[in-house]
Amino acid sequence: MELIRLAVKNLLRRKLRSGLTLAGVGVAIAVLYSLLEFQKGYETGLEAELNQLGAHIMVVPKGCPYEAATIVLHGGKWPRYMEESYFSRIAATPGVSQAAPVLMDAIINREAGLNTIFMGITAEYGRLRPKWDVAGSGFSGDTAREVILGATVADTLGLRVGDTYLLRQDAAGRAAGKLDADMTVAGVLGRTGTQDDGFIFMPLHTLQDVFQLPEKIVVVLVRAAGIDPASLERVTHALRELGGNMNIFPLSELLDNASQLLQVTRVFVLAIVAVAIALGTVGVLNTILMAVFERTKEIGMMKAIGASARDVFALIWAETILICAFGGALGIALAIASARGIEAFLRLTMASQFTALPQGALIGLSPSILTACLALAVSLGLLAGIYPAWRASAVKPIEAIRGAN
Amino acid sequence: MTNSNPAAASAVAQSNGRAPAAAPVAELIGLNKFYARGGEKIHALRDVSLAISPGEFLCVSGPSGAGKTTLLNILGAMDTPSSGEVRIAGRTVAARGKVLLSEAQRDKLRRGNIGFIFTEFFLMPTLTALQNVQMPLIWSGRADRGQARELLERVGLGHRLNHRPSELSGGEMQRVAIARALINAPLLLLADEPTGNVDTATRDNILSLFRELNDGGLTIVLASHDREIARGVSRVLHLRDGTASLTGEVR
Repeated sequence: MELIRLAVKNLLRRKLRSGLTLAGVGVAIAVLYSLLEFQKGYETGLEAELNQLGAHIMVVPKGCPYEAATIVLHGGKWPRYMEESYFSRIAATPGVSQAAPVLMDAIINREAGLNTIFMGITAEYGRLRPKWDVAGSGFSGDTAREVILGATVADTLGLRVGDTYLLRQDAAGRAAGKLDADMTVAGVLGRTGTQDDGFIFMPLHTLQDVFQLPEKIVVVLVRAAGIDPASLERVTHALRELGGNMNIFPLSELLDNASQLLQVTRVFVLAIVAVAIALGTVGVLNTILMAVFERTKEIGMMKAIGASARDVFALIWAETILICAFGGALGIALAIASARGIEAFLRLTMASQFTALPQGALIGLSPSILTACLALAVSLGLLAGIYPAWRASAVKPIEAIRGAN
Repeated sequence: MTNSNPAAASAVAQSNGRAPAAAPVAELIGLNKFYARGGEKIHALRDVSLAISPGEFLCVSGPSGAGKTTLLNILGAMDTPSSGEVRIAGRTVAARGKVLLSEAQRDKLRRGNIGFIFTEFFLMPTLTALQNVQMPLIWSGRADRGQARELLERVGLGHRLNHRPSELSGGEMQRVAIARALINAPLLLLADEPTGNVDTATRDNILSLFRELNDGGLTIVLASHDREIARGVSRVLHLRDGTASLTGEVR
């Protein structure tokens, strides 16, 4: 029987106390793990979503870029518009290889918690989406009262090519009058695994007509001819020279800005986590130290039957490290288990100011973060255990005898 | 210094009618020990001199508070004298009024040479009998090549290897403690009131065990206030208020 087994048995002797210490460490590590994973998930998720846009530059009306990013990525109702005439000027700018104008609107159903997102597009948009697999003939004209449904929408509504989609501006779907429209389903998209699955597409001019937004667009997605930093810089500059109610956003810049904002909050939150971990360390130290005082007789006995000071030090240190290692592992398991709940909470609290939160799971299982958190937990044990182990090693064997008699 | 063949040495000595001339396992010369207790200075041991021969079975007898435990602690290098000479297993622990070995050195000396038995057994409650006996091997870094089981069989507990202390009687627990004390093959076994917590019948059993072990060559010093025990050995050190007197001869 070796040292480690003895250490484990000693810890199991006081299950409640060991359990509570373990839980303390676990919670601190769980928080840290969730935070690091969330940040990583956010950055990779955002980057992936922006890449899926198929564009290098976003041209949006003047306003908050993060709001713009959210709207463009996830759809929504945004009361800021650009003139459709901007589109031709953008398309003609040197360095632009493709440009697609988009108008968006939505019907918000607060009761059901559902939003129906409509995207008004032109043929150029289709070119930005080479992977689109459209069942059906597609739009017959640019003012046709037709829709192409994203895969998820088609499933939910149970509609197929040739069916009629009833666009009702009353959120509950009741006929409300002249703003309603009956549209033919001209196409259904194959599943893309992107936001497109949840959108309803129609010709740009149709949308402008139905939602009474004449000559308005919300974004122009731009593909640059050259994507090296110098070329992108030139195109961006040229677009900015166009003036007007336009904001030019290279997506790389958007990603950088988002990352920077994230950095600021990260420093703040890491400071808090550092405090939590410090408290956890002190807690562990306190618990183990108290245990050492209570076990004076036992330690004296161990020395009497042959343990040296170093042996006792090693034993107590091992016990501390084990508790912290298990606490860390448990904390990570806890974080992963409650990942969806944590994400929901974060989305709720961060939704307004931290827009452009990527869809889907953010907290996952990255080997590097897992290793880092476990290593931290073990280091915590290494540190917290030194003093109690030293005190234990200094116990004189005679304490066992004196204490007994 | 070496305890190579105590039985032989003893036999030779007996045939000569003299005490064995082999080097003593432990030796005290003019030992004094003082304690401070609540402002008072207690003279726990007064000028005690004693040489423990290899293979002998010595009883330290006397009423409670006479200094028996103190004496055993010093013999076991767990405590240090206030004055006098102490030699254990050939090493000088204290001489010329000074303690010559550090705490760590004394611990090492004890680990290799001395086995200790307490009144309260001091077994680890979460370990089985076998694991309790194996415990000192963790510290000495040796592998168990079956010695733990052998020793438990020798003390009559071969059938109780996997029982925990809560499942053992007082006498059985003390036997486990004895096996544990012997696992590192010590030169000297020190037993402090080993039968203090058991009934008379069990006491006799344990004493027979001690005698068996002693017959096999183990040097034993047993401290007890029980006169019956003192009657069963050949040499007795009587302690009264710290003062010692020896009776009997080394067999």
